[in-house]
Amino acid sequence: MMMLALSTLLLAAGSSRGIWIAGAAALALVAGLLIGVKIPLRYLVRNLTVRWRTTVMTALAFVLVISLLTVMMAFVNGMYRLTQASGQPGNVMVLADGATDETFSNLVAPDMADLENQPGILRENDRPLCSRETYLVVTQPIENPVPGRPKRRFLQVRGLDDSRMSGRVHGLDLYPGGAWLSDAGVREVEQKSDVNSGNSAAQPLIEAVVGEGVAHVLAVDQKHDLGSAPPRERLDVGDVFTLGDRKWLVVGVLKSAGSTFDSEIWAKRGMIGPMFGKENYSSLVLRTAGANEARKLKDFYNNGYKKAAVLAQVETDYFDNLAGTNRQFLFAIVLVTVFMAFGGVMGVMNTMFAAVSNRVKDIGVLRLMGYSRSQVMLAFLLESLLIAMVGGAIGCALGSLVDGWTANSIVSSGAGGGGKFVVLRLSIDVPTLLLGFVLAMSMGLVGGLLPAFSAVRLKPLEALR
Amino acid sequence: MKFLGLIFKNVRRNAIRSTLTAVGTMVLVFVVTLVWSILNFLDAVTAEKTDNLKAIVTERWQIPSQMPFSYADSLSDGAARDASDVRPLDSMTWQFYGGTVDPAKKTIENMLFAFAMEPDKVGSMLDELELNSLPAAKADSLRESIACLKDKRSGIIVGREKLAQIHKRVGDRFKLTSMNYKDIDLEFEVVGVFPDGRYDKSAVMNRDYLNAALDAYPRSHAGQKHPLADKTLNLVWLRVPDVLAFNTVQEQITKSPFYTSPAVKCETSSSGIATFLEAYRDLIWGMRWLLAPAILLTLSLVIANAISISVRERRLEFAVLRVLGFRPLQVLALVVGEAVLLGAGSGLFSTLATYTLINKVMGGINFPIAFFGAFFIPMQAIWWGLAIGVFTALAGSVVPAISASSIRVTEAFSKVA
Repeated sequence: MMMLALSTLLLAAGSSRGIWIAGAAALALVAGLLIGVKIPLRYLVRNLTVRWRTTVMTALAFVLVISLLTVMMAFVNGMYRLTQASGQPGNVMVLADGATDETFSNLVAPDMADLENQPGILRENDRPLCSRETYLVVTQPIENPVPGRPKRRFLQVRGLDDSRMSGRVHGLDLYPGGAWLSDAGVREVEQKSDVNSGNSAAQPLIEAVVGEGVAHVLAVDQKHDLGSAPPRERLDVGDVFTLGDRKWLVVGVLKSAGSTFDSEIWAKRGMIGPMFGKENYSSLVLRTAGANEARKLKDFYNNGYKKAAVLAQVETDYFDNLAGTNRQFLFAIVLVTVFMAFGGVMGVMNTMFAAVSNRVKDIGVLRLMGYSRSQVMLAFLLESLLIAMVGGAIGCALGSLVDGWTANSIVSSGAGGGGKFVVLRLSIDVPTLLLGFVLAMSMGLVGGLLPAFSAVRLKPLEALR
Repeated sequence: MKFLGLIFKNVRRNAIRSTLTAVGTMVLVFVVTLVWSILNFLDAVTAEKTDNLKAIVTERWQIPSQMPFSYADSLSDGAARDASDVRPLDSMTWQFYGGTVDPAKKTIENMLFAFAMEPDKVGSMLDELELNSLPAAKADSLRESIACLKDKRSGIIVGREKLAQIHKRVGDRFKLTSMNYKDIDLEFEVVGVFPDGRYDKSAVMNRDYLNAALDAYPRSHAGQKHPLADKTLNLVWLRVPDVLAFNTVQEQITKSPFYTSPAVKCETSSSGIATFLEAYRDLIWGMRWLLAPAILLTLSLVIANAISISVRERRLEFAVLRVLGFRPLQVLALVVGEAVLLGAGSGLFSTLATYTLINKVMGGINFPIAFFGAFFIPMQAIWWGLAIGVFTALAGSVVPAISASSIRVTEAFSKVA
């Protein structure tokens, strides 16, 4: 029952509205108790400090549970933020019918021209505002891998016909000093720095616009001489890396932090399609005037368009679907937290039962002084909540230290494979802290309730005997 | 023996406290067992083996790997051309075929993904389904299913859970509307069920059935090949006796002039899986170094709390014991013994219950890491509970026990007086 109640509370508090209500309720409970308890607060605090070892150990259990919950929630928050920030509400993403993800979609070139010339698509210089894309996941051997770690990594490469236009459609820009891909998609340059050795120096370099996240990942491979400048944090314009059998030149770095594009390498589709054996397009992203227009266009492609079988989605819906893994992680977090909290509650109960049995005479005196049963009960409950509040606050503070840390993960709809490798930023927000606070208070409440009831059942004279 | 009896009696003395501590221990050991079972499985599949190892051959640069089926025979032979070349001990090919039983409303439940492969390889190459390592009854049942799959090209062997999700039973027929092979919708007959466990959500079909459908495609499409006709082979698995043989086979394959469009790579299965898991590196790190230790620490705190309360309440009793001739070390052993008894007992009970609940009742833990369907509690986990219980109890009771053993008799009695 207790675990069911904790799970329900966590799930209810998981919604943004629910957490504010639960937080307000927890605060109201503490405030109500502070106002309602007539037994001096100093007496209650003194009882906690006298048995400080037990109090500290109980509070530490709260610290561990709440800090862990905060860290885990920061991870899921980061994933949600990533998927929420990746789509444009006015964009429609067209995949081949039946494809569960970009990875498995195949759109043939002859269909593209007709698809992108339908009413409702914004135009610029008499050209439809759209992005023709070929999405690939490519294996990159890691030069000098760390012993015990994999020798390869997966990189996401997006082949584009017109990268400037794609940037416009996806609402992405470049950092100063960068340039979009040229029409040729390759460049003859003298190499500035070489990430990996290779034997294809004679070939022109493939131009690449890279997301910030993947620029960090690739910088790990940078050769670094001891005694020279410290290793670079990320690749920058002019740097070279190896992928496939070719060398690639970074011509621009996307301002993509916080979106799934952060982990992508953009290159000319005409170069990478043949290189990696994917000649067809995987998606077509079309810009409309707004969210309503995007929904209309999506409906048209799915129900009224007959020239090719396609699956259209509003881009934000596509990325919402990628939150499937987030939901699974969230479920796992709720499960782990509930069990940990349950364990913590057992510790609180032990402490409070001991507090009751140690203070049987105190309870008798309090009752004889005129304090009612409910006052005694509230006093014990408040003690339990005070430990919870302190432990929960420290737990939230410790957990908050991970705010801004980066982590690797995958976002996926969970249906039919696919998904994206992403670098996400752990994020602590007010609802997360409130959730920690609410859970701590709930643990304190549940853990303190039974001992508090046992305290009120004592008869004053028997207690003093 | 009397000493042990005393420990038992002490544990039973405060029933509420012992119960609360035991329940707390059980719950926390349950979570640690789940976390460690997942980590244990991932460690096992990514550990490099030295003999009887499996290699996978995939497209060199791209995932998902899509190779022409014409690669299948020679790759299955390890690209061996001369008599002196090394040949794998066994092999299997995988083609992925996925679809839904309800195209109007696709859900995870009504989708089914099958490995299209040679039926005979189910019992010789699929992990944990090797016929010679399965219990006799399960092996006989699987052998029968494999025979049916060979006889009936449209047959399919499905995991118990997936079968329940699509509301079918052995002998039922159903049509899959393909999601990856457009316009190749196939009718199947369920000819068997996998033994309970790892393959509860999986399915295996006869590869000849898929290939025949692809061959027939041009006849109904104005002579046009299916768009994926030359990309149907996803993986080739090879079993090799040792690392030396693997290195040779790997060289044979990567240096072969036959595999150029697309190029292929050969790696040990553990290496391939490790590459996939790299995306989850931080998550796994968090589970290993944050989650599990935090739970163990919480458990130690719960036990330490209970024991220290108990010691504080029994100071007079320990003083009496000292007067009766108990040495400090015996008092210490008494306190530690109580904690260990409580921890070990509840830990062992917890892992036994976890093993039964997860493996026998729930059919594994569904956790979204890589392509693993479900995780199971390994048999050795039963001893983890005992070990966790003992070690956390020791860690949690040492300080209170030292405090109990160093009690000053006169001081304890003077407080009473």
